Amino acid sequence: MASLRKIIYLDNAATTFPKPREVLEEMVDVYANLGVSPGRGSYDLSMEAEERVMDIRREVCQFFGGSDPERVIFSYNATDALNTLIQGLIRPNSRVVSSRLEHNSVLRPLHYFSHQGIIRLDLIPFGAEGFVDPVAVAEAIRTDTSFVILTHASNVLGAVQPVERIGAICRERGVPFVLDVTQTAGRLPIRLEEWGVSAIAFTGHKSLLGPTGIGGLVLSPGLDVEATRFGGTGRDSLSLDHTRVYPQRLEPGTINVAGIFGLSAGLRYISRRGLENICSREVDLAKRLHDGLTSISGVRVYPAILRDPSVAIMLCNVDGMDPEDLSSILDGDFGIAARAGLHCAPLVHEDLGTSPRGGVRFSLGPFNTDEDIDKVLEAMNTISRSK
Amino acid sequence: MERTAQTSAARQELGERVRQIAGREITFDGEGFFWDPHQWSEEAAMALAEEAGLKALGESHWAILRFLREYYFQNGRSPLNRQIKEGTGISLMEMEALFPNGIKYGARRLAGLPNPRNCI
Repeated sequence: MASLRKIIYLDNAATTFPKPREVLEEMVDVYANLGVSPGRGSYDLSMEAEERVMDIRREVCQFFGGSDPERVIFSYNATDALNTLIQGLIRPNSRVVSSRLEHNSVLRPLHYFSHQGIIRLDLIPFGAEGFVDPVAVAEAIRTDTSFVILTHASNVLGAVQPVERIGAICRERGVPFVLDVTQTAGRLPIRLEEWGVSAIAFTGHKSLLGPTGIGGLVLSPGLDVEATRFGGTGRDSLSLDHTRVYPQRLEPGTINVAGIFGLSAGLRYISRRGLENICSREVDLAKRLHDGLTSISGVRVYPAILRDPSVAIMLCNVDGMDPEDLSSILDGDFGIAARAGLHCAPLVHEDLGTSPRGGVRFSLGPFNTDEDIDKVLEAMNTISRSK
Repeated sequence: MERTAQTSAARQELGERVRQIAGREITFDGEGFFWDPHQWSEEAAMALAEEAGLKALGESHWAILRFLREYYFQNGRSPLNRQIKEGTGISLMEMEALFPNGIKYGARRLAGLPNPRNCI
C-alpha cells in the first residue's frame, strides 16, 4: 500500500494527513451505534441521533464564537458551504466586494454571477506580503454592495487577514461580511460575532482533522440566507414549500452523519492538544522552513518576508525548474509530498508573477516535526544546486 | 456516449494542433502532448528532441522514454514518481537535468504520452 510508505506530508492546506486514529475510531464507533437518519423518525434511535447532532451543532457554534446552534448548517465541504451562502445572498443588480486572494470556491461562483450580468464584482488587491488593506475594503463598499466575502487566510501565502478591522467596517456600513475560514479553522481562534462577521464557511477535513465530505456554515443571528436547494427536511412534509427554519432551510436531504461525528471527534482532539499549542507549533516550524528556504540560492519564496499573523503555508520555486518537476523530484527522490501549481487561486499567482505554472506550496500540519523541516531544507538545497 | 462528450470537452479545453513530424501527421494538445500515444515513433521523438534543443537522444534518454511507454501500455496510465525512479534506476533530479524541458514537458512529452493534466 502506497499510504504505508514513510513520507513527509506537506500538503495540509489541501487536506490534513494522516488523521488522528482516535478521530477515525470514534467516528466509526459512533456511526456504528447511531448511524440512522437523525430526527426523521419517531423511534428512539432517530431521536438520539438527532440529539447527538444537535450537541455537535452546539460544539461547532461555540468553537467558532456563534450564539445560535440552530444557525450551524452542515454542508459537504467549504466550496459547498460557500456556494450555499453566495447563491443565497446574491441580489440582482448589486455589487459584491471580494479580493484577489480568494480561492476558486469563492471566485468561480462570483465570476459566474458577474458574467451573467447579475452582479458587479469588486476585487481588492493584496500587498506584497499577502494582506488586504481594510481601507481598500471600506472604499470598495458602496450603497448597492450586498455583501463582502473574504478569505481569512490565503491558501497560497498563509497571510491572515485583518478581519476584526474589516468586520468593524462592515458592521458600521451595514453590509454582511462573509468569512472563508477554510485555512484557519482548527489553526486559529475564530470569534464570529465578536469580530462582526455575519457568516463563516468552513471545511471539516483540513485543520479540524475530520474526514472529507463534511463542512458547514455558522450564521450570525442578523443574517438571512435564501435557500437555493430544496427537498426533504423531515419537517412539515405536507407543504410543498421548503422550510424557512434553520438549519433545515439550508440543509435539504439527509446530512452526512458519519462526517458530523468525525468532525466532532476532530474538535475534541484539537481541544485536548490545545488550539494555541497546535498553531504556535506549526508557525514555529513554518518560520524555520521560511528562514531556511530564503537562505538557499536559487530558491524564491513567497511571501519573501513572513509577517505575523500567518498560518503555516508558503510558496516557493527553484529558478529554471518547472514547479511540477520540482514537486515530482521532492516526491520521487526525497519522499516529500508538496503541491505544485496554482492551488485553485489563479489571481494570487497572477499578481505574484508565478502564473501560469504556479509554484510549489509547502503547507504544514499538526504532525510535522523539526526533522521534517530539516529534510525538506536538505532536499531543496540539493535540488537548487543541481540547477 | 458520455465518455465521448468528456473526451470532446477535454479536447476543447486542452486544444488541438496537427503537425507534420518526421513525415507523419501527429495531433498534439495545446501544451504539445500527443493526443494519441500510438502516433509516436522514435523518429518523431528525435525530431521533437531536436526542436527542444537536444541534438541527440543518448542511451539514458532512450531508457527513460522506453520505460515510460512500456509502463503506460502495460498499465494504462503513466508511472508514479517513485515507479519512474525504480523502473529506470535514474533519479528524477537527473531526469529533469537530462531533458531541456524537464520531466513533464521534456521526458513525458517526448515519450508521446498524453498530457497528465494534474490539477494545477
